[in-house]
Amino acid sequence: MAPVVGIVANPVSARDIRRVVANATSLQIADRANILLRVLAALRACGVQDVVMMPEHGGIRSHVERGLVRARARGEDLYPAIHTVAMPVTGTAADTHRATREMRLAGVAAIVVLGGDGTHRAVAAECGAVPIAGISTGTNNAFPEHREPTITGLATGLAVTGRVPPHIAFAGNKRIDVSVNGGAVAEMALVDVALVTERYIGARALWRTENFRELYVTFADPEVIGMSAIAGLLEPVGRDESGGLMVRLAPGGSETGPASDPGTTTLLAPIAPGMMAPVSVTDWRRMPAGVPFVPKVTSGSIALDGERELSFTERDRLSLTLRDDAFHTVNVAAVMRHAGQNRLLTGTPVPVSADL
Amino acid sequence: MSQNPFPLDKADLLKAYRTMRTIRDFEERLHVDFAKGDIPGFVHLYAGEEACATGIMMHLNDNDRIASTHRGHGHCIAKGVDVHAMMAEIYGRSTGACRGKGGSMHIADLSKGMMGANGILGAGAPLICGAALAAKVRGDRGVGITFVGDGASNQGTFLESLNLAAVWNLPVVFVVENNGYAESTAMEWAVSCDSYVDRATGFGMPGVTVDGTDFFAVYEAAGEIIRRARDGGGPALLECNMVRFYGHFEGDAQTYRAKGELEAIRASRDCLTILSERVIEAGVVSRDELQAIDREVADRIEDAVRAAKAAPLPEASDLLTDVYVAY
Repeated sequence: MAPVVGIVANPVSARDIRRVVANATSLQIADRANILLRVLAALRACGVQDVVMMPEHGGIRSHVERGLVRARARGEDLYPAIHTVAMPVTGTAADTHRATREMRLAGVAAIVVLGGDGTHRAVAAECGAVPIAGISTGTNNAFPEHREPTITGLATGLAVTGRVPPHIAFAGNKRIDVSVNGGAVAEMALVDVALVTERYIGARALWRTENFRELYVTFADPEVIGMSAIAGLLEPVGRDESGGLMVRLAPGGSETGPASDPGTTTLLAPIAPGMMAPVSVTDWRRMPAGVPFVPKVTSGSIALDGERELSFTERDRLSLTLRDDAFHTVNVAAVMRHAGQNRLLTGTPVPVSADL
Repeated sequence: MSQNPFPLDKADLLKAYRTMRTIRDFEERLHVDFAKGDIPGFVHLYAGEEACATGIMMHLNDNDRIASTHRGHGHCIAKGVDVHAMMAEIYGRSTGACRGKGGSMHIADLSKGMMGANGILGAGAPLICGAALAAKVRGDRGVGITFVGDGASNQGTFLESLNLAAVWNLPVVFVVENNGYAESTAMEWAVSCDSYVDRATGFGMPGVTVDGTDFFAVYEAAGEIIRRARDGGGPALLECNMVRFYGHFEGDAQTYRAKGELEAIRASRDCLTILSERVIEAGVVSRDELQAIDREVADRIEDAVRAAKAAPLPEASDLLTDVYVAY
C-alpha cells in the first residue's frame, strides 16, 4: 500500500510578544499555506498520493485549497489528495495532540510539522514510533532545522517510499521529561526546560534573563537561538550525542558589565531573535540520560522550549529526566546526501540494495 | 506571605481585581435591570472580557486617550470614569456622565482620557489617530488605545486607521477584542487573512496575540506594546482572545452558539476566577481580602443604581444644550 503522510500545520504559532520585544518574524497564514503547497508538491514528486491533515480554523487549509483548485483546473497533477482528520477543532494544542494520535493510529508513515518548538513538542508527545519532519514556522525554533521546506518534503517523500534505508532516513532524538510530585510525566521538552522565578504564565515567552535560574537542554547548540544557545556557548552538546547539559544561573543577568555575584560568569547569549542578553552563569554540568535531576529552585514557572507553561510552588516536587532516542525525525541532510550519492532522482536510480 | 512572584505589587494586584470585579458587578446588575425594563435603549455587556480592559488600562494615565466601542462599560470603568456617573447615564438621568443624553453607547469623560464609547462600529480608530497625533505633536509621551471587535475590524475606518497610524508613526495601540463572534457571525466566516497579526504585518506594524482571559498575559504584552509606542516605536496591534458571557446585546437569544458553549466558557475561562485563584495560590493575596473587595464593590454598585433611580431625568429645555461645541 502506498504510504500516507500526516500534516500538522499550526496556524497560531509565531504570534507572541517577541514580535514587540525582540523584532521576531511574523509568518503570515498565506505564507504557511505556500510552504505547505511546496511540501505537498515535493511529496507528490516522490510518489506520495495521499496526505492526512489536521483540521484548523486558522485559514491554512482554505489557502491550500485554492492552490489545489487552480492545479486541477489546469489539469496538473501536482499534489497528493488531502484528507482531513475527522475531529472537532478547539484552536488549542489539544488539536495537535489529538490529530497526531489519530494519524499514528491510522498508520501514517511520517508526520510533516509546520510550527515552532511548541507545535513540534505537541506532536512528539503523541507520535510514538512515527517519524517527524519538522519545518520552522514559529519564533525561536531551536528544534526544527532551518531549510527550504521543499527539501524537507522531498526527503520525507524519499524516506517514506522506501528509497532510502531506514537507518539513514531516520534519526533518534532526545527529550526531557518533567515530573511533578512523583506522578507520571507531567510535561516534556524537546530542546530546553528553563526554571524561572516568575510564578505566572503571562505572555509565555522568556526574555527577562534576570529571572532565569536553571536550564536543562537536550542539545547545546551555539548555532541556534534561545535557551539552547546559552548552554551551547558554554559547552556544545550535539543532537546526536547521548545526554544533555544543565546550567545554573544567578540573578543580575540583566545588568551589563561584570556579574553581580563574584562566583558567576556573565555570558552574552542570543536568547530570542535579535536579542542578545547578558546572563549570569553560576555553573554547568553534563546531564546524563536516564538520571533524574531535582532542581534547587523551589517556586516559579517551568518554561518548555522557551515558553512558560506551568507554575509550581514550594509544595511541588519536580524531577527532570533526559531520555535518549525518545522519538524519531526524518534526517533530511542524510536522506538528501544519500539521494545525491545514489542518484535517486535521476531516470535510472541506483537500487538501494547496492548500498547495503 | 510569600515573596510576590507577579509583575505588579500587592496594591496594584488588588486594584486590578477591584476594577475587574466592578466591571463584572456593573454588567451583571445591568443584565438584571435591563430585563426588568428599567433601562432605556440598548446595552452591550462586557462581562467575561474584564481582563482585557484592566490589563491594558493599568499601564495608562489620564493623559492617555482611549476610544471605545458599543461594548464600552468595561473600558470606561478601567479608565477611571466614575461608576455613579456611568450608571446615571445608562439610566438616562441628568446626573449622568453626559447628562443623560448619551446612554450606554456614548459614555465619555475627557478628563479621564475616555473619548467615548461609540455606537458606530470601527469609529474609534480614526478618533484615536487624531488623539495620538496631538500627543505626538505636543511631545507629551501620551499614547492612544482604540478597541475594536473582531467584526468591526473589517470596517474601512479601522483598516484606514492602521495605514494612517503606520504612515505617521503614531503612538497608537489597536486592540482587537476577539470574542469569536461579530454579533452572531463566527470569525472564521468573516475575517480574511485569518489572523489579526497578519493584518498588522500587512500594514508594517507588529501584532501580538494573547489569551485575553489571562490578566497577566494581557498586562505583560500591553505593557511592552504601550512602552514601545511611548518611546516612539510606532503603532502595534494587540489581539486579545476572549469570551463574552452574555449575548451581543441584552435580549440576544444566542442561537448561534453551540449547545453547552456558554456553560463551558463560564466554567473554564472566567478571567476573574483565573486571576483570583492565581494570586491566592501564590500566597500574595488572601481570599478574605478579595471578599472584602467584593462586598465593597457590591455596595458601590447598589448605591450607584439607587442614586441613578433617584436622580431627575433631563428636562425638555436640556434638549438643545451640549449638542454643539463652539471652538
